[in-house]
Amino acid sequence: MANRGGRHARNEDSENTINYVQCDGLAVMKMIKHCHEESSNMDLAQGALLGLVVDKCLEITNCFPFPKSGDETMDEEMYQLTVMRRLRRVNVDHLHVGWYQSSDVGNSLSLALLESQYHYQTSIEESVVVVYDTQKSSRGFLCLKAYRLTPQAIQMYKDGDFTPEAFRTLKVGYESLFAEIPIVIKNSPLTNIMMSELNELLPEDKGHNFLDLGTASVLENHMRSLIERVDELYQEAVRYNKYQQVVFKQDTEKHRALAKLAAENAVRTSKGEPTVSEEEVIKQFRPLPVPARLTATITSGQINTHAQHIAQFCSQSLAKLFITESLQNAKETKEIK
Amino acid sequence: MSRFFANGSDSESESSEEEVQASNFNKATNFQFSDDEEEVKRVVRSTKEKRYENLTSIIKTIRNHKKIKDIPNTLSSFEDLTRAYTKALPVISKEENGITPRFYIRCLAELEDFINEVWEDREGRKNLSKNNAKSLGTLRQKVRKYIKDFEEDLARFREAPDQESDVEEGEGEAHESDADRAGADSDDGVGAGAGKLAELPKAAKSVTTKAVADDDDSDDSIDWDSDTESETESSEDENLYQNMRERFLKRTTEKEDKDDDKRKDKRKEQKHKVRKRAEDDEDGEWETVVKGNVVEKPKMFEKDAEIDIPLVLAKLIEIMSARGKKRTDRRLQIDLLFELRDIAEQHDLGTPISVKIHFNIISAIFDYNQKISEPMKLEHWALLLEVMQSMMKLLLANPDIIMNESVAEEHEEYVTAPYYIRGCPLAAVERLDDEFTKLLKECDPHSNDYVSRLKDEINVVKTIELVVQYFERCGNNNERCRIYLRKIEHLYYKFDPEVLKRKRGELPATGSAPSSVEVMDKLCKFIYAKDDTDRIRTRAILAHIYHHAMHDNWFQARDLVLMSHLQDNIDAADPSTRILYNRMMANLGLCAFRQENIKDAHHCLVDLMVTGKPKELLAQGLLPQRQHERSAEQEKIEKQRQMPFHMHINLELLECVYLVSAMLLEIPYIAAHEFDARRRMISKTFYQQLRSSERQSLVGPPESMREHVVAAAKAMRCGNWQACANFIVNKKMNTKVWDLFYESERVREMLVKFIKEESLRTYLFTYSNVYTSISIPSLAQMYELPLPKVHSIISKMIINEELMASLDDPSETVVMHRSEPSRLQALAMQFVDKVTNLVDVNEKVFDMKQGNFFQRGNMGNRDRGYNRNQNNQGGNWGGQRRDNRNQRNRNQRGHHKQQQQQQQQQVQTIEEE
Repeated sequence: MANRGGRHARNEDSENTINYVQCDGLAVMKMIKHCHEESSNMDLAQGALLGLVVDKCLEITNCFPFPKSGDETMDEEMYQLTVMRRLRRVNVDHLHVGWYQSSDVGNSLSLALLESQYHYQTSIEESVVVVYDTQKSSRGFLCLKAYRLTPQAIQMYKDGDFTPEAFRTLKVGYESLFAEIPIVIKNSPLTNIMMSELNELLPEDKGHNFLDLGTASVLENHMRSLIERVDELYQEAVRYNKYQQVVFKQDTEKHRALAKLAAENAVRTSKGEPTVSEEEVIKQFRPLPVPARLTATITSGQINTHAQHIAQFCSQSLAKLFITESLQNAKETKEIK
Repeated sequence: MSRFFANGSDSESESSEEEVQASNFNKATNFQFSDDEEEVKRVVRSTKEKRYENLTSIIKTIRNHKKIKDIPNTLSSFEDLTRAYTKALPVISKEENGITPRFYIRCLAELEDFINEVWEDREGRKNLSKNNAKSLGTLRQKVRKYIKDFEEDLARFREAPDQESDVEEGEGEAHESDADRAGADSDDGVGAGAGKLAELPKAAKSVTTKAVADDDDSDDSIDWDSDTESETESSEDENLYQNMRERFLKRTTEKEDKDDDKRKDKRKEQKHKVRKRAEDDEDGEWETVVKGNVVEKPKMFEKDAEIDIPLVLAKLIEIMSARGKKRTDRRLQIDLLFELRDIAEQHDLGTPISVKIHFNIISAIFDYNQKISEPMKLEHWALLLEVMQSMMKLLLANPDIIMNESVAEEHEEYVTAPYYIRGCPLAAVERLDDEFTKLLKECDPHSNDYVSRLKDEINVVKTIELVVQYFERCGNNNERCRIYLRKIEHLYYKFDPEVLKRKRGELPATGSAPSSVEVMDKLCKFIYAKDDTDRIRTRAILAHIYHHAMHDNWFQARDLVLMSHLQDNIDAADPSTRILYNRMMANLGLCAFRQENIKDAHHCLVDLMVTGKPKELLAQGLLPQRQHERSAEQEKIEKQRQMPFHMHINLELLECVYLVSAMLLEIPYIAAHEFDARRRMISKTFYQQLRSSERQSLVGPPESMREHVVAAAKAMRCGNWQACANFIVNKKMNTKVWDLFYESERVREMLVKFIKEESLRTYLFTYSNVYTSISIPSLAQMYELPLPKVHSIISKMIINEELMASLDDPSETVVMHRSEPSRLQALAMQFVDKVTNLVDVNEKVFDMKQGNFFQRGNMGNRDRGYNRNQNNQGGNWGGQRRDNRNQRNRNQRGHHKQQQQQQQQQVQTIEEE
């Protein structure tokens, strides 16, 4: 781990094109609206982010949805270009800085996402992907995450080599495929003023909603997908294990053949005949195809995020628990008095 | 040939040009010369003309080659000639009645002579060029070989020396034209042809003059063909006659145009002409209709013959010896046998003879139908049945007649008291039974035809009964087993309501006729004891079980199944036995269902239903196969295996019973194991139905039987027994399914009872977590069950540890222990399982590495080991790194576990809140 930390420091220049993402309230609202309206179990809602890069900070000021993929008559690229051109006319930021996608209980990090983000990041250096979790948000936890691919991940995908070997040389692990970038939501002062005014208008006893604990279903959903992921990972591990066994078998055979050859060579040299080189024998054993580790790594990454989500959720719940407890106590003491 | 001659005559009588052109066959003449006269309009030639022309032209060239002794060319021309001849052969055989054309024979003879001549001339042969000599050898060999086929014709040809001179003459002519060969070649050819043609009629003429004396018909024939015909093919073939007449006809028409003065017997000609003219038009298709082979019914015996046993027997043998021959008229044979029987009876020759004749009639009737797969004709069937019955009656009435297949032909005894007859009534009756099944299968099962056919079943059974009696008197065990099995097979699928009545004591248990179950018992037990072929016993057991199951003798049927161990080795049996096994299983399932053994019913039916093609398994119809078409052969075989319609088991009933029992088992099970990861479905088919209905976005009111069951299952899932029972037992389902049961009312009551119980269980499983306690009386009220029943159900569940609760007697309540994990907890448990699995596999992965490491250490050769590792593993994590990783993994695992515990604690605390 220490090693990796050091490497992080080294790569800081290239990696720190963006330190954080600053998101406009408008853009966030638009994204949320789109995701809630259009995402279902089957397909995901996707859209483009528009904004600017200011000093290691990516400002997302606007966004627009992609059309649903079912319609074939529409040229997606043309559509995007037209939308951006028209936005430009009304004086909106028109720089394409990334894309967003809806997700279901953290099932976001997938191979498809990695591929798209790779293409984005290779064409637009500072682009990010923002993932919005509809299910969790509908349960009261706003879940908006921005991700970027790490340079190693890009390199790895560019090479198209997913053997453990490549993973090792590039020093890619499940935790270093994606880098999460903190998101800051920024509203204009006017909005802030209105918000605080609205806050004051709210009746006092309605303000305890944030203490709601009846959110077991979020945890359940997390557990379900976690189980699925673990199952997948288990399959991968079994596959790798099989591969190992085969390799081991081949190794022993090869070793035996080499030993035999050495003995024969010894006899030959004693007779004065020319020896046969070892390469001949080694040639007979073709290296076996190594199973790709990419899916396994991605699955591990997902499990990791799930675990994080769960941990976060639990700590929040615990905090709520304690808050309610103290509130309750305060109430009781008040009543006693 | 005759036309050829006619042509010749034409060319000869060139003087009468107009006449020739007017004649209807001048086209042939024209054609002869059309080669050099292009302006002559094209005429359609017949194949015969074409071929003959070809032949003559080749013969011409051969002749020319011979003249100049051009042997190689002669050889090649000869080869052409043979080829052309084989081509012309069909025409020749048609037109000339297979007789080789005379000119062809002539050519062959000349060629042979020529070769012999050259061959003999040694001097000349030496002078021949090398090429020529070689060709000569080949030619000689070839001609010799070829000529062998025509030896007869050649011999005959050579017998007619008078023609030689003509030939000579013709040749001389040809020779002349040959001399100025430098001129137009075609002209030459024509000349030669004409010459040759010209000579032929002359020959014919001379022949005619010679042959006049022979008889009226042959006097106008040109050659000896008709003579030879009458000699060689004197056999009366109508066809031949016809052809000959046809030939006649042509000849006469052609001869019309011949010069009259040359004919001496013109008068006769005219007669012919007049007669044939009328038929001339239909020349081609003139054919006599072959009359039906009306064989006079042969007289049985001479009028005054004294009819006694040996004579009748001899006649019988005579008739029967024709059996199986192609020409034999099978219907006539049957009639003959009947006649013989009547004669035998008239003369009072005794029953043995009569029996023998009866038996032969039976086999003759069986013989009538040659195709085994097709049923016999109805009238034959009726006849057969009648004869069979009368024979068996005779046999039974005369105990001193012994009919057996082991009696040898020569030991048959018809005269004195212990009569021996060879024959096997067993085989006959078995065949009869098979024929009956075939007849039934031929009918449309929904027509009246089928019903009327089915009425014969009684007769068949009676016949079998007669045979049974016969064999009970004089038959060995094997035969008795066989005939018993036949009887069983007619008995086992028939329901006898008396059995049930007796069981309930409505009828006196003893007295009157034995019930079918008792009969069955008797027959089967005999077979069990005496049978030595496995097949009969197996079938008897299966039928026995079937019969028991049919009459609700559930325990006897089940015990028989279990004792016979049929399940183990039924796969080795033949298809029809397997079909019987399937039928037995289906019926056993139905019986179990009626007898309230839902689980057993499901077990019995699951094998049949899970494949989705019970129809095929029970041989009640063929299903179209998607993957591969059946061959016609296979389809025939499969059709033969089908059950006749009256033996079918209602498939809808079967499926309904299966689905309902699956529902009664599966729904409580699902409710009890909602979160169990290792839950397995009991019935796949039922699950599929449930799934497919869940997938539908809009579920309408149920229509089909399946939909009813699925709807009922859904109602049961939330413990709504009333709705469930309404879905299963209603008017629609009654007419469709339940009314098919004997005593359907009882079955319905049983069903409702089961639905109540299982719904109660499901309810307890599903909703126990929302109760702290439930009062038993209220449950009993809800489910309209008696209190003790509810009590017993709940107690059973508690004992089986299906329900975590205890009974509180004084207050009559069930107190829940609430120890079942909540949903989240169940999930967490499942997750723990999965994670441990994963960790195990991971551990294995690292064990492998570790193993490698030790091996490497032992090897001592570090470098190579290192390389190898790198090559094959593709990732050499250094030892240190591995350790790190290992540790980290452990940490991770620890972390997971911690997390788990944390979660669980948390969840609990949350719930407590």
